[in-house]
Amino acid sequence: MTRKFLMIAASVAVALATGLIMASPARAQSGAVAAALSAGTVGEQADGYLGIAGSVSDAVRQEVESINIKRRAVYTDLAGKRGVTVQDVAAATGCQTLSSRVKPGQVYRIGAGAWQTKGAGPIALPGYCATAG
Amino acid sequence: MKKRTIITAGFAGLALGGCIQVKAPDKPIEINLNVKVQQEVVVRLQRDAQDLIQNNPELFPQ
Repeated sequence: MTRKFLMIAASVAVALATGLIMASPARAQSGAVAAALSAGTVGEQADGYLGIAGSVSDAVRQEVESINIKRRAVYTDLAGKRGVTVQDVAAATGCQTLSSRVKPGQVYRIGAGAWQTKGAGPIALPGYCATAG
Repeated sequence: MKKRTIITAGFAGLALGGCIQVKAPDKPIEINLNVKVQQEVVVRLQRDAQDLIQNNPELFPQ
């Protein structure tokens, strides 16, 4: 009885939290960032955040910062649920963005390395990304 | 099974030698598990990360 109530309460809490995150006005400028991604002036990093790889407008720079702040919030939320560090969640997300989001011609960066342009083949991921199972 | 063997061997040692001496090594024993642990955590989080990206498309423009 109590357990069922707790589960329902937890579900409601999760639904509310998700609703709040979704409701945040984040999609306003993402077109500019998408264009910068195509242009190779903004790219995904293995650390799970976007980075500035070239010369960008202030608007794009601000939007990248804004996205990264929101990403951190989402990472922090998941890290709390899984009992891991924010850095781990961010790194796991970085593995995903590099392996399946970055398109050929777009740029990416691993660690403090130089920005690289993705070719036709898959990106050589950091060792900790190993998708075992 | 193996544990029992070890325990038996231990008692045999006790019986034969009277006592077991454990000497601390000169240098501290250093076991570095950080890399391995991080890898396991990150691998375990891959599925969550996929969901996270799909649920927050505005944070992952392409």
